[in-house]
Amino acid sequence: MPRTETKYFGVIDFDAGSAIEFPAGLPGFDTRRHFLALEDVARSPVIFLQSLDEPQLCFLLLPVLAIDPSYRLHVSPDDLLVLELDPARQPEIGADVMCMAIVAIAGEGHPTANLLAPLVVNPATGRAVQAIRDDGAYGCRHPLMTETRETPCS
Amino acid sequence: MLVIRRRAGEAILIAGGIEIEVLETTSGRVKLGIRAPREIAVLRKEVQMTGLQNLTAARHLPAELLDGALVKLGRKFPSNPGNTR
Repeated sequence: MPRTETKYFGVIDFDAGSAIEFPAGLPGFDTRRHFLALEDVARSPVIFLQSLDEPQLCFLLLPVLAIDPSYRLHVSPDDLLVLELDPARQPEIGADVMCMAIVAIAGEGHPTANLLAPLVVNPATGRAVQAIRDDGAYGCRHPLMTETRETPCS
Repeated sequence: MLVIRRRAGEAILIAGGIEIEVLETTSGRVKLGIRAPREIAVLRKEVQMTGLQNLTAARHLPAELLDGALVKLGRKFPSNPGNTR
């Protein structure tokens, strides 16, 4: 069983079949393509996306439906092909794909989630993509605390 | 900001050999064609914004800050079964 060093959980053994591949990398991390989605029951529903290429790289994710139960996917045909899904049909969260948002916490600031570019994973193949929306329906710094207001992305 | 009105088939030129042509306009959308030298990066702005957000998400969370961050998240998200693989 392969073994990897992680940012938060020390050295762990993992099932090679559970690895997630982002064939195109993630914007800003184009060469980091292999990850593990780790869960810690005490910290549910947070998911830890641990890089298999760089032990100190681990993103915190939340299921988009935990953030916004009415969230609707909008994945481009190109991204659907990367996921090895039908490019003519939007996949359904939970049935066809898993969909998580990357959480960012800047300094003392409040946590935000990137709903503009959710991570979409095809669990049948382990292929994943950061699916950047082109419809402007959601922001890249969606506040997770109701008392904060969304700041412009640029 | 410089504002220029263009119709489909018209173009604008930017110094350095960059040409942006309006190929098609439909309701609420514009299809652009861009000609630029290889060394000029052309990027949808959302890709850049997401790259910057990813860098923030990766950089500003050393392990010792994790639990404090999770406490903040926990206020809004009580535990429920995860739905990851």
